[in-house]
Amino acid sequence: MTAVLVCDDDKEIVDAIEIYLMQEGYKVYKAYDGEQAIRVLKETDIHLLIIDVMMPKLDGIRATLKIREYSSIPIIILSAKSEDTDKILGLNIGADDYVTKPFNPLELMARVKSNLRRYTTLGNLNTENNALFQAGGLCINDETKEVMVDGEPVKLTPIEYNILLLLVKNQGRVFSIGQIYESIWNEEAIGADNTVAVHIRHIREKIEIDPKEPRYLKVVWGVGYKVEKQ
Amino acid sequence: MRGKALGRSTGKTLHILQHALIVTAAVLILVVLTGSSVMMNGVDENYSYSLKDEEKDKIYEDSLLFNYIYGRGVADVASMVAVRSQMETNGRFDGDKEIDVASFYYRFEGLPYRYLTVKYRLEDLIKWGQYGFEYEDRWFTSEQADAFLNRTSRYTSINYSPSNLQGSIVTPFNAKMEEITEEYTVSANEMKNGEFHRDETNAKVLLNRCQTTEGKNLEEYVGTWPDYYELCQYVTATASDLNLNYESYLRYKDYYDAENSNLRFYILKEIGDRKEVYTNIDSRHMSETEIGKRFKEYGKYLYFNPENMIFETNTLIEEGTVRRIFNGFEYAYPESIQVWIGVDTSYPAQDVYIQGHNGYIRYVPYYWQLIVIAGVCIALYLGLYVYLTVQEGRALDGEGNIYIALRGVDHIPTECAVAGIIVLLGGIIVSLTYVFDSMSFAFYYEPWFKAVGGGIALVCELLFTGFYYSMVRRLKADNLWKESLTYRIFVTGRQTVWKVYDNGNVIIKTWVPYVIFLAVNAVLFLFGWKGMIAAVCLDLIFGALVYRNTKDRQRIVKGIEKIKEGDFHYKVDEKNLHGDNLALAQAVNSIGEGIRTAVETSMKDERLKADLITNVSHDIKTPLTSIINYVDLIKRENIGDERVRGYVDVLDSKSQRLKQLTDDLVEASKISSGNIALQWERIDLVELVNQALGEFSEKFELKRLTPVMNATDSGIYIEADSRRIWRVMENLFNNIFKYAMEGTRVYMDMKECADGGEGYGYVEFAIKNISAQPLNISADELTERFIRGDVARSTEGSGLGLSIAKNLTEAQKGTFEIQLDGDLFKVVLTFPLL
Repeated sequence: MTAVLVCDDDKEIVDAIEIYLMQEGYKVYKAYDGEQAIRVLKETDIHLLIIDVMMPKLDGIRATLKIREYSSIPIIILSAKSEDTDKILGLNIGADDYVTKPFNPLELMARVKSNLRRYTTLGNLNTENNALFQAGGLCINDETKEVMVDGEPVKLTPIEYNILLLLVKNQGRVFSIGQIYESIWNEEAIGADNTVAVHIRHIREKIEIDPKEPRYLKVVWGVGYKVEKQ
Repeated sequence: MRGKALGRSTGKTLHILQHALIVTAAVLILVVLTGSSVMMNGVDENYSYSLKDEEKDKIYEDSLLFNYIYGRGVADVASMVAVRSQMETNGRFDGDKEIDVASFYYRFEGLPYRYLTVKYRLEDLIKWGQYGFEYEDRWFTSEQADAFLNRTSRYTSINYSPSNLQGSIVTPFNAKMEEITEEYTVSANEMKNGEFHRDETNAKVLLNRCQTTEGKNLEEYVGTWPDYYELCQYVTATASDLNLNYESYLRYKDYYDAENSNLRFYILKEIGDRKEVYTNIDSRHMSETEIGKRFKEYGKYLYFNPENMIFETNTLIEEGTVRRIFNGFEYAYPESIQVWIGVDTSYPAQDVYIQGHNGYIRYVPYYWQLIVIAGVCIALYLGLYVYLTVQEGRALDGEGNIYIALRGVDHIPTECAVAGIIVLLGGIIVSLTYVFDSMSFAFYYEPWFKAVGGGIALVCELLFTGFYYSMVRRLKADNLWKESLTYRIFVTGRQTVWKVYDNGNVIIKTWVPYVIFLAVNAVLFLFGWKGMIAAVCLDLIFGALVYRNTKDRQRIVKGIEKIKEGDFHYKVDEKNLHGDNLALAQAVNSIGEGIRTAVETSMKDERLKADLITNVSHDIKTPLTSIINYVDLIKRENIGDERVRGYVDVLDSKSQRLKQLTDDLVEASKISSGNIALQWERIDLVELVNQALGEFSEKFELKRLTPVMNATDSGIYIEADSRRIWRVMENLFNNIFKYAMEGTRVYMDMKECADGGEGYGYVEFAIKNISAQPLNISADELTERFIRGDVARSTEGSGLGLSIAKNLTEAQKGTFEIQLDGDLFKVVLTFPLL
């Protein structure tokens, strides 16, 4: 049974998360400050940690730093601090994900699942296959036309599939709407058109946990779209 | 500056040591001087004698000092007796004595064979010499001249025979003139046409103050003008010499009187059968043998008889010396003289021999040693001067830093101090000179004289040292000039002028200086070319002042411009400004200061507000998280009651709204306080709008809104922060989604414009829609925070959307304008083109 440690100085929030996690079938351990969390981690076999930042005794950032000295389990930071700088700091010191309060419980569960899948099941993919394209947890098999996100299959329309394939094949490169249109429809883009943009939004809604904060298919506003190189 | 300074007590000790050294040196020098030299009163002047080391073991009478005094005495006696022979007959002053002027006149050179002469009474000549000679320039016609002068000149000739050729010089004082001279007359041979004739002439006539022994005037002895003048010269020279000799005669006679002097003399002159005796002893009825015996009894003596080549003495004086002395007065001494000069060594009189004796017995033996000690004292004294000059005035403050401590005397004006020290020291020196001159030598050898000398040296030294160190302190503190009277007068004058200028009204400031200037110029021109040069100098100075004034004004203008450009920290330098310029500069500075304070306060307030809002929002978010989570949990329960489910939905939507509101609030406050960092990128605005339309396609479909885009297909590039400009678009589209009337079209126009006012092109993006509600508020109010088109606030939204969009647009150098026309809602964005 997968064990998740939830650490937050607000007891109600920990309880609420516990309820959601138990409904998803995880075993839940609870801690109310950083030191407690580290103790529990040492005593128990924990597979994933959800940790708050602003806590007494030892804050989430320091706790994460200490845990990273000996453990590589997925860590999701859960914080009321929503600034970009806060997120960048959290991810840089070793957290795998950053969720801001107030959070959507369903989204949090999705992120927990996603992080666990990548931690437990990924890594044994056959990368020898030439028709296989991967970007982080996103995996496309061009032979079977299958798209997997963190091991879960996703259903895309042919146009959506082609757009995503184009972007994954050229990871890191930004494609403008016109360029995407020309390479998918094989004809010159005429005038301003938002067709591609609509398709992209649909793809995001299918492969991303939070389409507004995409992990894979990112919008570069005023320039185009890209899949981040991972 | 950190450093060392002398302790108070050390400094004081060194100063006292310095004073002690100079006093010691002064006393030692006085001891050496009074101990090694003897001061004596001579007849005519005082003289001193430096004692020599080799004399110190001898008795006084054998010493060189004694013999020196004795030698002077012998010379004095020789000259005195010569003078006495002119004045006296039989040892007494004889005013009726006849003086032959020619033989007196030639007494040193010897008389010519033939000469003019007259005889006067001694008294008459002395008086004549005393009163002086009067001459008269007179015009003589030949008759007058003939009447004035005699027709013959009376000459005297000397018959030199082997008996009277014993000495080359013959005078009535060493020879019997009547035996060897004879008189004869020579006629004046001024002839013209065989007759006696005198020319008219202008002659300088000596007024006869007295007559000759024959009761005649001078002119009666001569027949020609040259003879007259020659005779006049003999008379005047004789009279003035006799007058002088009479004074020294009295002085010498008194000085060498037996009462006043221990010197004894007896001089016997034999002129033919005449015997003349000059002495200061009672020698009546004494034979020459007895006299010789008497002189031997006195103690020290000499006997000199040139005729018989006899010279006897028990002193150190040599025969040659005595001979030379008497030869100097050859006119007064015939070959046949006998001279006895002795010193009564029982010293009955207080005279120069006693002075010499006193000095001799006080002789200081350690002469050189004392001089060396005094020299060392002076060297140490000077060394202390150097050291104390370096240290003078230094003092340490609390932190160990050196500063120059000034004293009360240092504030006496420099000129007063200099003048004071000159007057004081000069006065002391001058008065000392007087006291010294009028003081008896006897005091020199008293111990108190040295003490007083040391005291005076101390007083002088204290005065000078006080003055000197005060000057040193002033120099070090750099206020030698500042403490001077000149400087004070200068500063006060300048302050007064500026005060009058600063407080005066416009007329005083402008017309009064101008009129003074003109008047001074005009007056200077009256003084010719020098005045003109002065006027030109004055005008140049005036020009320089005007230039300076303008330059000051320029400085203020520069300050105003700096402040205008936003440099609120700029300050106009108020130094050296006066009058209006100063007032102006102060005003500008205070305005600048006021603006700076206002700007800083408002910036600070905004930042504080933003921080406050951010902190509050963090605190709100934590309980909000619980609310949202538990509402969600309630929703998951199977609630049968329709009403309860309705309540939960309200809770759900309102808590979501609260979340949105918190985020927007933080963002809005951050943007308006300027607390955001932008990441500039090259953005294609057409692409952005297309992307936005893609994002909002479903929402628009939901409200049956049809976007109509009018744009060129090529990219329109601007520089912006991609996420921030997306936020602008998102807010605008959300606004349309919320407030546009369902089933209408949304028009979007994008066009490039050539000139954005500053030489760059710009892009204009307009978005129009029909509002669902009547817009009954102004366009400006819509971008105020928390303002929404529907006053009832029934719709969702924080009311911050447009405010955030506007602020973000402006932060990215764009403009954001809302235009309302009935139900038409139009937003126009412009950005400068890249």
